[in-house]
Amino acid sequence: MPTLRLEGLTKHYVRASQVVRALDAVTLEIEQGEFAAVVGRSGSGKTTMLDCAGLLMRPTAGRVLLDGVDTGRLGERERAELRSRRIGFIFQEFNLLPTLSAMENVLLPLRYSGADHRAGRRRAEVLLEEMGLAERMGHRPAELSGGQQQRVAIARSLIGEPTLVLGDEPMGEVDTETAEMLLSLMRRINRESRVTFLIVTHDLDLAARADRIIHLRDGRLDADQRVERPGTRAGVAALAAVG
Amino acid sequence: MADANSSSGFGGGYMDLSTLDRIQRVQGVLAVSPGVYDTAKPGSASVVSMGVPDFIANFDPNWNRYSPLKLSLAGGRWVGDASRLEVDLGSSIAAEFHVRVGDTIALPVRPSDAQPGFVNHRFTVVGILKPTLTAPDSGAYVSLHDAQMIEGDSLPTALRGQVDPYQLITGAVVYAQPGVNLDSLATRINSAVPTVEATKPSTLVNAFKSGGAVFTVMTTAAALLALVIGGLSVVNTMLMSVSERVREIGLKKAIGARTHHILREFLAEAALIGLIGGVAGYLLGLVLTTLLNGSNPSGGLFLVTPGLTALAIGFAVALGAVAGLLPAIRAARMDPVRALRAQ
Ligand SMILES: Nc1ncnc2c1ncn2[C@@H]1O[C@H](COP(=O)(O)OP(=O)(O)O)[C@@H](O)[C@H]1O
Ligand SMILES: [Mg+2]
Repeated sequence: MPTLRLEGLTKHYVRASQVVRALDAVTLEIEQGEFAAVVGRSGSGKTTMLDCAGLLMRPTAGRVLLDGVDTGRLGERERAELRSRRIGFIFQEFNLLPTLSAMENVLLPLRYSGADHRAGRRRAEVLLEEMGLAERMGHRPAELSGGQQQRVAIARSLIGEPTLVLGDEPMGEVDTETAEMLLSLMRRINRESRVTFLIVTHDLDLAARADRIIHLRDGRLDADQRVERPGTRAGVAALAAVG
Repeated sequence: MADANSSSGFGGGYMDLSTLDRIQRVQGVLAVSPGVYDTAKPGSASVVSMGVPDFIANFDPNWNRYSPLKLSLAGGRWVGDASRLEVDLGSSIAAEFHVRVGDTIALPVRPSDAQPGFVNHRFTVVGILKPTLTAPDSGAYVSLHDAQMIEGDSLPTALRGQVDPYQLITGAVVYAQPGVNLDSLATRINSAVPTVEATKPSTLVNAFKSGGAVFTVMTTAAALLALVIGGLSVVNTMLMSVSERVREIGLKKAIGARTHHILREFLAEAALIGLIGGVAGYLLGLVLTTLLNGSNPSGGLFLVTPGLTALAIGFAVALGAVAGLLPAIRAARMDPVRALRAQ
């Protein structure tokens, strides 16, 4: 059973009495443990697809299945519960709470999932150590660099032991070197704990380090490419051949 | 207390000194003192002012002997029967005219639109009373002779020289023997001495009570105003914090916070604002009442009890929570996607 299955996913926005077809019948499956990149021009529907997959909005048509469960049939309460138990979110703008320390930011999701706080604290320490932030746990976001902030956000996305982590341009606000480092971190977590990653990026070099590249164009699935040897020239070449 | 029957002649309410003897003979009367009472600031009656207007009265030595409400001096000495052009001033009138013991003050105070015949006299301040927070604070106390002199000066020009002001008083203070019913004593005086009209103490108490009611209404109005302002400022603060923290709300909902979580967080925050405001206001009130009580010789005008403390702070917390309700609902209902994308 795939971790995530999108079935004919369609989303129309209405703006000024004009219908924008942001997503048009996208069907795809993401298997457990996969590391998939979503690429496409600005406005091609990447964010819309992630928001639907993350149960942050309901599609106009089509279905989102999480571990085989048709999430469209669930009420808001169950969807919120699924978000807190199964899904981790990483955002382009980090979205850390400025008044909380790194540790408190990582622990935030547990406030709403009813998880055991003491065990969560231990896990947060381990995660922050893995992120190379052992010395920064008590720091506020303002005292951290962009790369460090996003590592706090990655730790936060993992605190609830999700099966799926969704990242909407998580490397979009940092320099190339930091972006490389963040991607390496996520790949390592993906390898070690088999968490499924679905990451939007507009950087083709970064996308080439995924297992798979999903290409959107005008809201439609344009290409779905498996990368043979992630991070090699062959991978990039394969993408170029599709693009 | 007996006032001159206003129908007795001059229209302003005067009585003859000999009337006192007739009152003295009424059964149940312990002592009678002459009373001469006049305004200290003629012409200013139309000016709306808070509290008791400044007045001039004869100092009644019987007062501190028989009245349960004693007057005491902050400095100086009392005027005596033989005093001439000497005055004891109440605390607020002394403060109003910036005078201390040894200074002089012209009484009555000359109004800006003084009549041609206006006369006043320069008095030496020989004593200043301790504050009572009641009527005596606004009084200028002179000897009976001087009070009658001032009263004589204020007589209509046509009457001056025709009546002897030193035989006239404007009222009398009657002290009753212990255990005498004051209302029935007033009735007895009125029938025995038809030229006077004794005021029943119950009437005075009622007047005082309605004064107290005015005080209560005013403090209640002030408290209500503070309540509305306090409530509105919490609403405003919380609404502002909702719009400033849209992204935070969006993030929390994205990571699994439910509507009731956000509602609870914002309510707790509003209640905390209420608590901080309540404690601050309470401490301020405590300082203020301590100061006011300290300046009052009989002490304890305002009483702050543990129950009142709990009520005041509890109320502030509840007010904060109620005022935070609307912003909290607004925050909790927010759509996570829109909130997250908000700039
Ligand atoms: N809330 C919205 N209302 C109307 N149109 C929207 C809204 N959000 C996105 N769109 C439109 O939908 C399309 C897809 O947007 P989006 O999913 O954000 O693409 P991407 O993330 O790939 O840039 C774009 O044309 C965008 O303008
Ligand atoms: Mg986008």
